[in-house]
Amino acid sequence: MSSLTAPGPAKVKGQGVKRSDLLPYLGSKLVAALVSFFVTLVIGFVIFSLMPADPVRTLTRGRPTSEAQLAQIRVQLGLDDPVWERFLTFVGNTLKGELGYSWQFQQSVSSLVADRLGPTLLLMGTAAVLSIALGLWLGIRSGWRHGSLFDRIASSASLTLWSVPTFWLGMILLVTFSVGIGPIPSLFPAGGMADPSLPQEGWTHVVDVARHLVLPCLTMVLVVFAQYVTVMRTSIIDEMGSPYLLTARAKGLTDDAVRRRHAVPNALLPSVTMIFMHLGILVSGAITVEAVYSWPGLGYLTYEALKIPDLPLLQGTFIVFSASVIIMNLLADVVYRFLDPRVRAQ
Amino acid sequence: MGTGNSRRRLALAACALSGSLLAGAGTFAAASAASAPQETTLRVKMSGSGVDTLNPFLAFFDGAYDVFASIYPTLNSLDENGKPGPYLAESWTPSEDKLTWTFKLRDGLKWGDGKPLTAEDAAWTLNLIMTDAVAGTANGSLVSNFESVTATDPTTLVIKTKAPQANVTYVSIPRSGIPIVPKHIWEPQAKNLKDIKNDTFPVVGYGPWTLTEYKPEQYAKFDANKDFILGRPGFDHMVQQSFKSTDAAVAALRSGQLDYINGVNPTQFKALQADKSLLTAQEVGNGWTGVEVNHNARTRTGKKIGTGHPALGDPVLRRAIALATDRKTLVTKVLDGMGMVGSGYLPPAWPQWSWKPAAGQETPFDLAQAGKILDEAGYTKGADGVRVDPKSGKSLELRLGIHSDDTYDAGISSYLKGWLETIGVKLKIQTLSMSALNSDLAKGDWDLLMDGWTTGPDPTFLLGIQTCATLPKDDGTGGNTDAFFCDKAYDELFKKQLTTFDQDERAKVVAEMQDILYKADVDQIHFYATTLDVARTDTVTGLITGQPDAQGMYPAQTTFWSYLKAAPPAAKTAAASAEEEGGGGPLWIGGGVLLLAIVGGGIVLRRRSGAGDRE
Repeated sequence: MSSLTAPGPAKVKGQGVKRSDLLPYLGSKLVAALVSFFVTLVIGFVIFSLMPADPVRTLTRGRPTSEAQLAQIRVQLGLDDPVWERFLTFVGNTLKGELGYSWQFQQSVSSLVADRLGPTLLLMGTAAVLSIALGLWLGIRSGWRHGSLFDRIASSASLTLWSVPTFWLGMILLVTFSVGIGPIPSLFPAGGMADPSLPQEGWTHVVDVARHLVLPCLTMVLVVFAQYVTVMRTSIIDEMGSPYLLTARAKGLTDDAVRRRHAVPNALLPSVTMIFMHLGILVSGAITVEAVYSWPGLGYLTYEALKIPDLPLLQGTFIVFSASVIIMNLLADVVYRFLDPRVRAQ
Repeated sequence: MGTGNSRRRLALAACALSGSLLAGAGTFAAASAASAPQETTLRVKMSGSGVDTLNPFLAFFDGAYDVFASIYPTLNSLDENGKPGPYLAESWTPSEDKLTWTFKLRDGLKWGDGKPLTAEDAAWTLNLIMTDAVAGTANGSLVSNFESVTATDPTTLVIKTKAPQANVTYVSIPRSGIPIVPKHIWEPQAKNLKDIKNDTFPVVGYGPWTLTEYKPEQYAKFDANKDFILGRPGFDHMVQQSFKSTDAAVAALRSGQLDYINGVNPTQFKALQADKSLLTAQEVGNGWTGVEVNHNARTRTGKKIGTGHPALGDPVLRRAIALATDRKTLVTKVLDGMGMVGSGYLPPAWPQWSWKPAAGQETPFDLAQAGKILDEAGYTKGADGVRVDPKSGKSLELRLGIHSDDTYDAGISSYLKGWLETIGVKLKIQTLSMSALNSDLAKGDWDLLMDGWTTGPDPTFLLGIQTCATLPKDDGTGGNTDAFFCDKAYDELFKKQLTTFDQDERAKVVAEMQDILYKADVDQIHFYATTLDVARTDTVTGLITGQPDAQGMYPAQTTFWSYLKAAPPAAKTAAASAEEEGGGGPLWIGGGVLLLAIVGGGIVLRRRSGAGDRE
């Protein structure tokens, strides 16, 4: 039996949470989250400050720039400031909610992140919902009838896809469904988020974005869903020998009801952990998928920043990514308290 | 958990939503074609660098300069030989003492908002860059020798220079020069220039196109300027779409999403040559790829810096490395034949400056000769087969820095390693990011570095980075050099070419400079890669794509000419085109996915209707 599995469904549901217990619990978790956030800030700054960088020469390569111009640009970008001063500015700006000023795009990092957050959340969110739904469903079915033909097909297909490099799978789907092969015609756009020649609002735009979303989303789902299948399948198999399921069957419940009402809720906890971990890294996007399909999201913005390297932009995205992971961990702690009675008992 | 009824409603709603989406997918292309049956759009891939900012005073990326060349005017254009031609200016004359240039501008031109476009706009733009450090961020060096710029009347612009300057007509040319902006739009914003994003559409400008919409990392949309003085664009609209992966751009071209791509790789190019619906073309290279040699990095006062191998200061060793490099093989194997063997410092796209060593003066590929001159100079081989520098006693183990994201560098370095080890020089290949490579370069912490430069039609800047003035100061700052080259004769010629107003005579001076560089073996040019272009033949004609064996400049977008002259095939209407390219696809998708949605919804409903019984 899984160490996270509750002994029976009655204990998972139906117990209230005392308000007096909840507040200190939340407070301690919140303080821990804030400490984590500050530590990641320091680590992030140190890492990016240690990177070998001559952003001015890299930025200006290809344009005739004089020595005086290079010096002026260094001053404009704050590169002449000592490291300690840059660190204080960085922390101060972060506390004020400002993420700095991008060297290459010459605008605030916040506005750059805000522009790219929507596309990334759309792609990653859709892919996450689909892969969670597909993965859990397949995992439950496979685990409940492990060893069956369905199980063998589902398990081997998901593990095969999990092993495939995302970039390669993206290219195969691109060639197959965008260019078209043999009898398969060109079905979906090769890249971008919208067709510029169509109106950028209204129903037509929604449909257009949906069409552009299909291939990158499919690539993500095909690669990601396998881990939900694996974890859920294992959890269900662990549950199957439990006495409470025998009791449930003895009460005359159907096999379907035993699975859905008793086994699944108890087997769900490891998957919940994984879901929250995934939600945490959601905003960082998937660099490879965004690169293959030219999806204008945060993952690719980070890659662009690394090339220069655009330190304020890297630091800004690092803060956003770190914050999202920390917030999701915090939420996971809270949800766990509701789902698992042993957490409340601590 | 919901009841059976609520689940049923949800499934039905999902089916309805899918149906609506798909119905939309099936009809939007036809609707779009029907709404504008006569409008034509040229769809091209945006420059791979993308657009950093639309502010022309601050931008550095190629993608931004492609946009500026389309939407802002310049004093001069480039003619088909790559030499300055008329644009805003119809004529230009230097004074007797060569210190004053008088440009006569066209009369009657208007900015996109109807305000007159006069010499005052040009004077204001150039003066701002000369006097304001922020305004000079991107283009300050181009006007650093300007004493004053004045508009004496609406069609006369007078530029006075501090010293004679032969390249004044290159200062404001499309793409690599300074774009002229409307004074009445920018003057109120001049104090706040750093924060101007220039994203109010349509952008007020004057050029072959008007920028009507821009989404970062996605696309830029343009309308044709039907009154453009140098000719009306062949398309009504243009879209530059961003593709981060060339593979995806190729897929988009083949599926009809794009009409033209500039800059595919040789493998893609050869694969696309077999497709009869595509036109493949090669542009003569406007840049070189080669290796820089750190022949003892030093500061302006001669103080040695960095960790370069001391033996590279010996011309014999540099010569041996040059002799041990088979440039023909590099072109054949690394470029798949799509390039020219390198020799001169300036690339062949600009034939007025292109130089080759005289017959018999070329450095051949001769491993035996390389070994012989090293033997004669006392570089004896140790037990491990690696030679030892007789002066420092250090074995010839050299570091070769290559760009981590450059496939050419990876290919070249593996060949170089083999050739150099044959002559007793060991290579340690270091894969570095562009910024790490630049950082090492500035500090002199390297032996050999893979490098490459592209250039516009004026060679001044590229030649300038080989002058003594670009060496760093003693504190390590202020450098803008590539190979720490410093030669008095070269410096004298650099000054001379800047003051030689007869461009043919200037070319001779430039040739002498390239001869000095060639013989010094500090910038060993391997090849000039051709730029590989692909266009659809069914949707676009007239693009300037050049000839495979062309020796002249065949610009894709070195100026605006190619997109200006592009036109839809005469027999093709926009409506027919839309139906052919996009009309069938969405309908096909719509039908297929609608069927899936109905079947899926049916199964869900069926299962849910029996769920209660099963439980």
